[in-house]
Amino acid sequence: MKRSICRLGIAALAIMLVMVAGRAKSSGLIAADEKPVEIKIDNFVFSPNTVTIPAGSTVHWTNHDDIPHNVVSDDKSFKSKVMDTDESFSYTFAKPGTYNYFCSIHPKMTGKIVVQ
Amino acid sequence: MNPFDLKSALLARHAQHVVLIHFPIALFLAGVAFDFAARWKRDATLAAVAYYNMTFAAVMSLPVVATGLMAWRWQLEGQKLKGTLLQHLVLGVTASVLIWLVWSIHFYARRQGRTPSNYRLPLEAVAAAVVALTAHLGGFLSGVNAPV
Repeated sequence: MKRSICRLGIAALAIMLVMVAGRAKSSGLIAADEKPVEIKIDNFVFSPNTVTIPAGSTVHWTNHDDIPHNVVSDDKSFKSKVMDTDESFSYTFAKPGTYNYFCSIHPKMTGKIVVQ
Repeated sequence: MNPFDLKSALLARHAQHVVLIHFPIALFLAGVAFDFAARWKRDATLAAVAYYNMTFAAVMSLPVVATGLMAWRWQLEGQKLKGTLLQHLVLGVTASVLIWLVWSIHFYARRQGRTPSNYRLPLEAVAAAVVALTAHLGGFLSGVNAPV
């Protein structure tokens, strides 16, 4: 009887260890996924120009120019305020699709986000 | 998009400042060139051409300053004045004041029936340089001077 209780305890402990380990691993993955994708605005260019991300990812734009810029999607699904030097804007893409965007102050500046 | 759509033309969603700015720049620089030519050739017709170019340049500078301030408030959402934006604003207002000053020298001289004093020529050269520098910075703000 004692032996079976001991075995049961060891099994329960092993299951708990596996669960804790699995949880730690999965939480690490979430943290990695949560890291926003960085897009630099520099010299009148969005860099990288095209980004492919999984749905639910966040994209983070930072203006490194001395000139104000903003980020506006073609379908008006997102629009930043005008960003001064070193100011940023973030947007989380929940739905899959292709999002073309541009700077409405300098419409020649364009970029694309592909959400899978 | 219909290029002859009146509503689109009148209510364009870009800042009108970048359209209107070409008028006072071209008129004033042409006026200065004609005034230098009038001084060199001692030609009253060239002097009259210079005066009228400067008159229209001065008049056109008013809507340009107004639309520039509107572009700053609305298109740039009242962005903090620093760096290129601040330099462009200060130089733009200075250029406008200089254009009016040069015009007034010509205006009062013509009203008194005499040739404007020669000190106007270095002043016109300085004003032309300030106009050119303001336009150069404006080109960066509007993206015209951006790398291809």
